[in-house]
Amino acid sequence: SPSVPSAGTGALAQWVLVELQGEVQPRQSGDLAGNLLGDLHYTCEGVPVLIVGHHILYGKVVQLEKPFAVLVKQGGAPQPSPSAPHGHYTVTALIKTKLLFKTRPKPIITHVPKKV
Amino acid sequence: AAVRSRAEVDATLQTAKLNPAELLPAVQCLSFGPQAGGECCLLQLEPGLCAELEAGRSLVIRGEKDEHAVLCSKDKTYDMKIADTSNMLLFVPGCKTPEELNADLASCNIIHSQIAGFSKNYWELRRCRPKLKKLRKLLMEDPYEGPDSQKDQTSTLSKYTTEDLLSLIQASEEEILHQLQVIDACKIEGYWRILDFDYEMKLLSHVTQLIDSESWPLSKVPLCACLEELGSLEPREMIEHILLSYGRKYVDDGEVFFEMREDKICRAIARMLLQNAVKFNLSEFEEVWQQSVPEGMTTRLDQLQGLALVDKSSRPETIFLLKVEDLPEDNQGRFNSLFGIREKWTEVDITPYIQDLCAEKQTVGALLTKYARSSMLNGVKVFNSRRPIS
Repeated sequence: SPSVPSAGTGALAQWVLVELQGEVQPRQSGDLAGNLLGDLHYTCEGVPVLIVGHHILYGKVVQLEKPFAVLVKQGGAPQPSPSAPHGHYTVTALIKTKLLFKTRPKPIITHVPKKV
Repeated sequence: AAVRSRAEVDATLQTAKLNPAELLPAVQCLSFGPQAGGECCLLQLEPGLCAELEAGRSLVIRGEKDEHAVLCSKDKTYDMKIADTSNMLLFVPGCKTPEELNADLASCNIIHSQIAGFSKNYWELRRCRPKLKKLRKLLMEDPYEGPDSQKDQTSTLSKYTTEDLLSLIQASEEEILHQLQVIDACKIEGYWRILDFDYEMKLLSHVTQLIDSESWPLSKVPLCACLEELGSLEPREMIEHILLSYGRKYVDDGEVFFEMREDKICRAIARMLLQNAVKFNLSEFEEVWQQSVPEGMTTRLDQLQGLALVDKSSRPETIFLLKVEDLPEDNQGRFNSLFGIREKWTEVDITPYIQDLCAEKQTVGALLTKYARSSMLNGVKVFNSRRPIS
């Protein structure tokens, strides 16, 4: 039956979740692979700041009450869908922390026209 | 595309009018990795599961195409439900928190991190009762009728090994193994089998007759002597199995004995009597029943909870077979079925037929509040269906 073994020996990797509002669109057509998302900074107080395209997003670091497991489907099967999660999965990582960006993006104004 | 440089990062900061002095020195440039096409999914973990995964144990997703998938740990079962968020969830390996950056001040001021995957939803888990009714159903496809039966020599079609059961039953391994014990299943030639009831009663009566003829106390039945005396009639494994099913094993002075379980034996004999007709006159049944059980055992109606139901409204009072394991496994189906059999139930009568539905910390009272409506009948509180039964 479909099993979800932990990948390899040794401790599971710990990843971080980045939660953004809305969709992320690639600049050019095609999929997102290889594309840059943005620069992630932290203020000295530990507030995450993400610069995406022409937007600045401010967020916060959240320790998750219920951690996530990241499951990777084996064998190049179609993406797990809500109606059919059946299949072989490996637990690749655990996620206990997320960076939550909920604030409205602040646009970066790159060009201010000169007054004549 | 070329890798982003620190100079480019600083230029962006300048354009954004952010003061580098107010930021930690290290920046993490996030880009989408080559695999980030959605082969991953997120599973929200219930308490305890995280620790299990970190201890190296695995989780299993079980269910046929027509069943709702469940997730099983070593000893628990969870329903899986998709939770949609309107947000994008990106998973980033090696992404550092402020604490981690501060702890490692010697690190360089630019880190390139790849986003391994992303999702708009995740799987939520909710602990549920293991779905074990199918286990009995599978084993009842081919009950074991004894070594003389012709059936067994032919097919292995409806026979199930532990591995088979693990792949077919939506429950954790421990829950399955425990249920096999509860239903007195035994392993014969590597397959799990339930005994055909008539064969089971035949084995039981061999044992009870021997106890009677040897005048052994019911609390001290010797295994060795049973195997010796009965070994010519039935396979030794079956004799031992029936003793294990209907007795409590213990060792005294190096020898194995069984304390026979009065309630279970009386119950089995009642079932044997009741299965031959639709219903019985209660007082006649009670008389025959007491006469049918081994010397020294006392029959009581409360031994029949979840097995038989007394109809106190009929004249004379009657009793009929109603086995809880024959009723639907899901809550609403169970209650519909019970209210179809009898319109109004007292709590005492209905409890044995709904007890197994209770979730981890749920009471029978809570179930009744949810699925039934109460009223008074002749000064007694009774429960009936919330909806009209067709």
